[in-house]
Amino acid sequence: MGWLSSLLENMSPMKLCVPGDKLCSVEDCIPGTGVYLRHGYIYSSLAGYVLRKNEGEELPVISVVRETEAQLLPDVGAIVTCKVTSINPRFAKVHILYVGSTPLKDRFRGTIRKEDVRATEKDKVETYKSFRPGDIVLAKVISLGDVQSNYLLTTAENELGVVVAHSEAGAQMVPISWCEMQCPLTHAKEFRKVARVQPEYLDA
Amino acid sequence: MAGLELLSDQGYRLDGRKATELRKFQARMGPFAQADGSAYLEQGNTKALAVVYGPHEMRGSRSRALHDRAVINCQYSMATFSTAERKRRPHGDRKSTEMSLHLKQTFEAAVMTQLYPRSQIDIYVKILQSDGGNYSVCVNAATLAVIDAGIPMRDYVCACTVGFVDETPLADLCYAEESGGVSSLALALLPRGGQIALLQMDARLHQDHLETLMEAAMTACKGVSKVLDEVVRQHLREASMLTRE
Repeated sequence: MGWLSSLLENMSPMKLCVPGDKLCSVEDCIPGTGVYLRHGYIYSSLAGYVLRKNEGEELPVISVVRETEAQLLPDVGAIVTCKVTSINPRFAKVHILYVGSTPLKDRFRGTIRKEDVRATEKDKVETYKSFRPGDIVLAKVISLGDVQSNYLLTTAENELGVVVAHSEAGAQMVPISWCEMQCPLTHAKEFRKVARVQPEYLDA
Repeated sequence: MAGLELLSDQGYRLDGRKATELRKFQARMGPFAQADGSAYLEQGNTKALAVVYGPHEMRGSRSRALHDRAVINCQYSMATFSTAERKRRPHGDRKSTEMSLHLKQTFEAAVMTQLYPRSQIDIYVKILQSDGGNYSVCVNAATLAVIDAGIPMRDYVCACTVGFVDETPLADLCYAEESGGVSSLALALLPRGGQIALLQMDARLHQDHLETLMEAAMTACKGVSKVLDEVVRQHLREASMLTRE
C-alpha cells in the first residue's frame, strides 16, 4: 500500500507489535485505533506497526496500523454510497458499497424508508419518483437496525440522494433540479431525488 | 500396546522427546489470498488449516445477531484422509460439534467483538492430518488466522494438551500417548495476562495432581506463545519488505 511505504521511508523503522503488547501508559498517550485500554495501560490489539501522531497540544495519539485496511463497518452518522436494488411504495432496498471513501469487501444491505427520502412533505413522497433500481445513491446511516431490519439510511438532506442514474434509454442522466434528471440522448426528463453536488467536485 | 512405555526410565517419550518438550512447530500466515485471514500450522504430525472470514453482515437468520457485539461462528472439521482409517463423517458428528463450540467459546474470550455490533466473524478450521492434540493445534492455527485477518484481539490464544504419566506431566501429547490411557487436559491460555480461555478434561485424575498438571500446561502454552510470536513478527517483517520495494 502506497501510503504505508511512504510513511516507512520518511520515518525511522517503525516498531512492530503483536496483539497483547503493552505499548505505553494512558498518561503518556491517548488510545487511537487498533489498541485497547486495560488497568491504565494501552495494549495493542492488532499485528502491525505502532504509529504515534501529535495532534495539537494534547497528548499524542497512539494507534496500530496494518498494510491492508481492516474491514470497516458502517457506523451511525456515516455517509455511505449505495446501489438501489429494489423499490416498493413504502421503502427502497439498497446494497451499501462504500463507507466514506473506503470500498467494502462485502455488500451490506440497507433500507431507505419512504419518510426518510426527503426532509419536506414526507407523506407525499413516491419512491418511484425518487429512486429506481440501479441508481447510485449517497445516504447517511441513521440506525444499525434491529432484529427485523437492515441498516436504516436517510437521504433527507440536500447533499444526499441520487448521484448517478441511467435513463430508460440506457444513457447516464444529467441532473437539472433537485427532483429531475434529463437523459442526454432522448432529452426525456425523469424524476429522482437528486443530490446537490458540492461546487468543488463539479468539472469547470 | 503392552510393550510400549510412554515414558522411559531415562525420561524419553515414544517419539524421543523429553517430558516438557513441544513438538516441531511450522506455521505459515496468509497462504490464501481470497479469504480475509488464513493460516497453516503443523505441530509434529498434526496439520491444521484455519480460515477466517469477516467481520461481515449476519448471514442466515438475522435474529441471531447481537446488538452490541459480533457473533463468532466456528466450524471444526476433519479431512476424510486425516486419520488412520478413512473418516466416514467429517462434519456434523457430535465430536465436531463439540469442538466447534469449544473453539467458539475460546475465541469469544479473546476477540474484541464489541467493536463490530450486529455482524458475524466466521472461523473455519480443518484438520488435514490428525496425530493428537487436535483442539490445541486448531486454536493455535485459528489465532494466526485471526491475526492475519486484522481482527483486533486482546492477546494471542495459545493452547496445549498435556497428560499425566508416572507422576510426570507430559506436554503436547501425540496420538499414541492420548490413546495410551493418559489423562489428558487441554488448556487454552491468553499468555500475557495468564488468563485461561478454556480448560477441558474428560479423563480421571487425582485431585492432588491437578495443580502440577495445570502448571505444566501453562508453561507449555507460554512456550507455544513464544513460537507464535516469532511467526507473526517474521510475517510482518516479510510483508513490510515487500511494500518497501
